[in-house]
Formats: sequence, structure tokens, C-alpha cells
Amino acid sequence: MDFLGIPRNNRRMPASAEPPILLEARALSFSRQDEPVFGPVDFALRAGEIALVEGDNGSGKTTLLRVLTGMLRAGEGEVLLDGLRFSLDTMAGAVVFLGHHLGLKFDLSARENLRVSAGLYGLRADADADAALADTGLAGFEDEPVRRLSAGQKKRAALARLLILPARVWLLDEPYANLDRDGIALVNRLLDDHANRGGAALVTSHGAVSFAGGEPRRIRLHA
Amino acid sequence: MANWVPLWLHRLGSPPVFYRFAGAVRPWALGLALVLGAVALYAGLFVAPADYQQGDAYRIIFIHVPSAWMSLFIYGAMAVAAFVGLVWRIKIAEVVAMESAPVGAAFTLITLVTGSLWGKPMWGTWWTWDARLTSELVLLFIYLGIVGLYHSFEDRRQGARAACFLVLVGAVNVPIVHFSVNWWNTLHQGSTVRLVGPSHIEASMLWPLLTMMVATKLYYIASLFARVRADLIASEGGKAWVRDLLVREGGAA
Amino acid sequence: MTPGSTPAACAALLRRDLTLAWRRRGDIAMPVLYALIVATLFPFALGPEPQLLARIAGGVVFVTVLLAVLLSLDQLFRADIDDGSMEQLMLAPQPLALLVGMKILAHWITSALPLIVVAPLLAGMLKLPAAALPALVMALGIATPLLSLLGAVLVALTAGSRRSGMLLALMLLPLCVPVVIFAAGAVAAAQEGLPWIAPIAWLGAGLVMAVVLAPLACAAALRIAMDT
Repeated sequence: MDFLGIPRNNRRMPASAEPPILLEARALSFSRQDEPVFGPVDFALRAGEIALVEGDNGSGKTTLLRVLTGMLRAGEGEVLLDGLRFSLDTMAGAVVFLGHHLGLKFDLSARENLRVSAGLYGLRADADADAALADTGLAGFEDEPVRRLSAGQKKRAALARLLILPARVWLLDEPYANLDRDGIALVNRLLDDHANRGGAALVTSHGAVSFAGGEPRRIRLHA
Repeated sequence: MANWVPLWLHRLGSPPVFYRFAGAVRPWALGLALVLGAVALYAGLFVAPADYQQGDAYRIIFIHVPSAWMSLFIYGAMAVAAFVGLVWRIKIAEVVAMESAPVGAAFTLITLVTGSLWGKPMWGTWWTWDARLTSELVLLFIYLGIVGLYHSFEDRRQGARAACFLVLVGAVNVPIVHFSVNWWNTLHQGSTVRLVGPSHIEASMLWPLLTMMVATKLYYIASLFARVRADLIASEGGKAWVRDLLVREGGAA
Repeated sequence: MTPGSTPAACAALLRRDLTLAWRRRGDIAMPVLYALIVATLFPFALGPEPQLLARIAGGVVFVTVLLAVLLSLDQLFRADIDDGSMEQLMLAPQPLALLVGMKILAHWITSALPLIVVAPLLAGMLKLPAAALPALVMALGIATPLLSLLGAVLVALTAGSRRSGMLLALMLLPLCVPVVIFAAGAVAAAQEGLPWIAPIAWLGAGLVMAVVLAPLACAAALRIAMDT
């Protein structure tokens, strides 16, 4: 099963053809107990694009990502994946979400955690758990229970999961939190590689971020 | 069917419309319930003849039986509202279901208390593990669980959705409980006293009973509408229509 | 099995939960210990006459096991919700109901199965006649998965709420009344030398229904719980 819908050879399209839209929000807004949280927001995320969601604390960045995963139902507007409205049942692992809670089992080792994720989501073609862990700087820590890793290392273990899953759209909530300078560079490199493979990502952050590929798209949320 | 019915129902789904509708209906329902209830009580206590077996003690059925009917009727109404609320995500239906639960619990409690009061002269004991009383007790627990679940959430709407779901689980469960309790009762050979079935009942006893049944239904409507209005004011507090309402009522006072 | 296929996902999740339980195997012993303590208290409270104990043994074992299962149920989804694993499960390209079913299965293996193993011991302490033992074990074997399934739905419903302990007991009572009636009824019938297959068959019918419906209800309830 390969969910990387845009294989490498497909990306050599004529320069005039725009990459396809992976994730699109139309007039998306969300209210909690009749208090508007964000929106309406419009954006379209094309293959190979990284967008930064900006906004102050409380402006609804996390909520936006959770609505995009389908876990929260949008108040108004719609979310389209590959041009189709989607729900939790139909999106078939095309989206992967990394939130404040990393989704790691602390009693399992990093390698075991990755194995569980691969079992649930499938393994990306030519991806390998140990290589992903080495890539995120966890070589030598593969069999250590996640409990014993530092906060930054836990984050890196969660990032390694992104590398082995076939999802095309990454929704990353504050991926830079808890990371040192090297870690931030790592996130940027991973995002860059993901974009070059034809994936797309939506990243929230309240810090300034620079991508290797220049200025990212910015989606601004107002409190 | 004429399409004004769904149209009217659709309009009623909007909180301000329902608020006004409930406010208009409530005094009539309450007034009628009190009048009919008084008539039924008078007829039941003074007009209807004494039972040849149970004497005057049987007169408690004029409270007990309508309450028992209501304990089940309200569950049915609540289940329908919960289903509508969950499937079509209609806020009013969720509120109606949630505000039905305390009323249903109250009728269930009345049923249990009057049943036990009746049991003392009839069976010589306040409580017996009779199949119907036991089922009613379990029903009370179901109602309390629903009320408890609704109020254990920070987010009212989320609590309502979870509790509506529990209402539907309970709706599947109630017949199963009744069946199993019946089976258990025959197995353990408990009390075998059979009460007078309402089917072979004297007409002079029947009409007060039916009048009381109508009165309890009207009371349910009145009580439900008052509760729903209060719930709507609390949960829609920030909305323009509530603020307008406060300004208008404040100006009138 | 291809990674990402539904059987692989189920196996991965089952293996994960069993591994986690094994790494904290002290916790597996807790429900068993609890059941042992409760069952021990009855002779102290009621006196050690064998006839009296034999009369109540079946019922005591069932209520004890039920309470032990109830205690362990509270944690069924809590850890997964707190560490973000539940979000990962919901976004996985698999039917959530099936994954939840796997979690319930793992929970049953780690918390109810040990209880079934010690149940004959408890029954022996309470002087249950040996002739009723097959009925007891069989009734427990059907009643405990049924309790796990029904309890899981309620745990999922309370997952998004502030408090759950007592509320869970209040909500579970009406659901487990039929289970207790039929399970204890089977043991009572066996004790009196009567045929006891009918109540077991009713329990079995309930289990079949619950296996199909409870995971679906659980998945729906979890979606409500995660909708914050």
C-alpha cells in the first residue's frame, strides 16, 4: 500500500502544471459552546508545499489542526482531501498528526513504538525504522524505553514516526517545542525532504521559523 | 403529507423559536394538568368505590399507575429525542432529552415510593423483589446515570451528546433487564401476589385513572418546557437573542 | 502480513497492549488480589458454616469478579487518551471499532482471564460444591467478556468527563443486572442439580450481540469523547 500518491517520477511534470491540491479548507470555522474559536479560514495546500499556521496563544491553531484531522467537527465550511470531503472513516491514513501529546507509549522502546505505528498505518516504501531513528539522532537509543529519554529525544522519536509512515499530509502542532537548535534544524530538514517527495505539511508555531527552501506559506489566525 | 409539518418542525429546532413556543404552551399545559389532576384525584379518592379485596388501600393506584406509565413513556420520548439529536445534531432535541431525564427520574421515584407504600398493606412488607418493582428500580438507576453523565462534563454540549448515547444504550437495555428480572423472579419463586390488572377494572375506577394519565402527561410537558427554557438561557447566554430578551424583559419589569 | 493491512493493525495493537501489560505485570495481580480479599471477608462477616457459604458462594464469586473487572475497566482508555495514542488510533486507516475491539480483548486477557483462573479457588474457599464448578467456570467465561464489552462502552462515554469512578459504577449497574442474573442463575441451578444450559445459552446470545455491537458503540462514544 503506497499512500505517497505523488511518486518521484510524477513530479517531473511540465513547469506550467501546478502540483495538485492535497488539502483544502473552504470558509472553515469552528465554535466552541457558541464562542467562535477561529475562522473563517480559506487555504489550499498543494503537493510539495509547507505552510505555517501563525497566531497568538488562544487563536485556535491547535483547534484548526484537530478540525483538519476530522477528530473535531467543523462548525461551518468544509475540508477537502484530494478534492473530496472526508471523514475519519474515509481518509485512509493520508494524514498524520503530531500533537502536544506525542502518542508514544513510555513503557515501550522507540523501535517498538515505531513498529506499532507501522502496523497501524502501514510502512512507507523504502522506509526503515532503524534508519529513521538514526536519521533523527536516536542511534544507540533504539531499545531504550521512551520513559528514559529526555523531552527532546522523545520528540525526536515521535518525528521518526513521521518518516516511516506513508501519509502525504503532515499536521504538526508545535513541532519545534522542546527542541534545541539542532532539533529545529532537523524538523526543517524533515519538512524539506517531505515537500521534495511531493508531500505537504501544515505546521503551527509561535516562533520564527526558516526553511531551507526559503519563505514558507503563512496562514494567519486572529484571536 | 403537507410540507408545512416538517417546515414547522425545522423552525422549532431554532432555540429562540422553541423558547417562545415553550413559553406560550407551558402555562396552558400546567393549568390543564392541575385541573385534570385535581378532578382525577377527587374522583379516585371519593367517587370511585372501594375495592372488594383491598378496601381503600388500592386508591394509591391513582398515583402509582400513572407514574409508572410516565416513567416508561418519558424514557421513550427521551430516547426518540436523543436519537434525533445524535443523528441530525439538533441542539434542541439534545436539550429536550437531557431535561426529560430528571422528570422521568422523579416519576420513577414516585412509582417506587407509592409501590412500597402500597406493598405494606398488601404484602405486609415495604419492599419486595417483585419483578416490576425491581425493573423500576433499575430504571431509576439508568435515569440517574444519564443525569450524572450529563453533568460530569465541562462542555455541556459534549455532555449532552455522551448522555444521549447512554439513553440509547439504556433503551436497548430496559427490555433485556425486564426479561431477565422476570426470569429471575420465577426462578426464585418470590412474591406471587398478582395485583388487579388494569384490564378488568371497574369503569368508575378507570376514568379517574385515565384522567390522571392525561394530567401527568401535561405536567411532563409543562415541567419539560420550563426546564428546557432554563437550559437554553444558560447555554445560549452569550447569544444576541438572549441579550435582547433580557433587555426586553428588564424593560417591562 | 503487510504492515498497514487490517489484520496487521489488529495484531500490532494487541501485541502492544499485551506487551505493555506484561511490562507492568504487578498491575495484573491487583484485580486478583482484590477478588481474593473480598471473598475472604464474607466468611468473617457471615460466619464459617459450610451450608450458608455454599448457598451464597456462586453469587459472591460473581459479584466479586464483577467489582474487580469494574475496577480495572476505569483505566481501559485513560492512558491512551492522556498520552495521545488515542488520536493515533483514530487517525489510523483502520475501522476504529475493530481497533477498540482489540483493546477490549487485550483488557479481557490481562484482567478477566486471571480472575477466571482463580475463581475455582475462591469458590472452594466458600465451599461451593464441586459439581457446580463447570457451570461456574463456563458462566464466568461468557459473563466476563460480556462485562468487559459493556463496560468498555461506558468507559468510552465517561472518557471525556471530569470524574468517572462512581459514575461508572452507577451506569454499569443496570447493564450488568441481566449478566449477573443469568450467570449466578446457572450456578444456582447446577448446585440444585437442575439443567443449567438455558441461562448459559442466554448469556452466549448476549455475548454474540455484544461482540458485534459493543465495539461499534465504543468507537462512536470515543469519537464523542475526543470531540473537544
